[in-house]
Amino acid sequence: MSGPRFVTPELRLTKLIEEPGGLTVAEALANAAANLESIRPSCLAEITALLERAEAQFAEMGEAPDAAAVAELYGLVVGGIGGGEVSGTPGVDEALKSLSDLIDALRAGGAFDRAAVAVHLQAWRLLTITTPGEAARGEILSGLRAVVARYA
Amino acid sequence: MQGCASRRLRNGARSVLALEAESKQVFNLSQARVMLVDDTEIGLSILTQIVKGLGARNPVRCETLQQAQDAIAGDAIDLAIIDGFAGGGRGYELVRWIRTATQPPTCYMPILVTTGLARDEDVMRTRDSGGNIIIRKPISPATLLQRIVWVAKGGRQFLFAESYTGPDRRFRDRGPPSEGGRRKGEEGAIDLEGIE
Repeated sequence: MSGPRFVTPELRLTKLIEEPGGLTVAEALANAAANLESIRPSCLAEITALLERAEAQFAEMGEAPDAAAVAELYGLVVGGIGGGEVSGTPGVDEALKSLSDLIDALRAGGAFDRAAVAVHLQAWRLLTITTPGEAARGEILSGLRAVVARYA
Repeated sequence: MQGCASRRLRNGARSVLALEAESKQVFNLSQARVMLVDDTEIGLSILTQIVKGLGARNPVRCETLQQAQDAIAGDAIDLAIIDGFAGGGRGYELVRWIRTATQPPTCYMPILVTTGLARDEDVMRTRDSGGNIIIRKPISPATLLQRIVWVAKGGRQFLFAESYTGPDRRFRDRGPPSEGGRRKGEEGAIDLEGIE
């Protein structure tokens, strides 16, 4: 390559988005919200199945699991982020983010705290199965943040 | 569908999209070929329902990076929404592949990168791979729509260089985010323009 080269591309999307027809913002957002509502039951089933896979993976991990086992668990956790809100289980997304932060911190420190991971999985189950009220949910998430703070 | 009060997104105005629930501004994604890449069923389902709600017909759903590469080879894609963590973090490699291994105009396609993670590392990987914008999960329809309209605006230069190929990172049109919120760290979305 001879040197940096700049071009200003014409995007087909630029033209398409202004074509006649289409939706108003209000219609589009309402449609998207209705579509998400329609998949709530299947999302809840998927987030529950993901939880069960994560629990099974964790059960197979000992006190000092290898990197591949930790990566497997991490992948399951990250894959579920975003599903909590749609599945109607408030707090699950935050719990999953907290667990991914914890695993990041544990990896960086070269250690594995089985109890810290276990409490996150228990919280995930609690938030998914029982959908606690706002105050209880806040306490659960606050507790998870405190656990992660020990390693961050 | 379009009342008298409807306003189409035109030129300067199109960069500022009112996202209030009652907004009559009109946009059209019905003819856009949108590719969605996420290796989790839950992530792909959510994304599909959102973009269909926004008016995209028959988005191309890809559960693997290979499916995405095949889709790109087989058809013109107008917009890609890629989970950076797909394939164990190889979603970023797909973004880089689009930028460096495909020919114009394919390599110019707007790419939104989604992630469940909010680490600086992910922002940097998105930027360095050539993604336009990173969007944090959970994804809200309003955030996704705003970012789609923003990248559709075009006008941003594209750089071919030895160490980087993608949207010009020095571009600093401070457009739509000021209308409804923050820019860096804005409700779920980070515009990579200007992040050096």
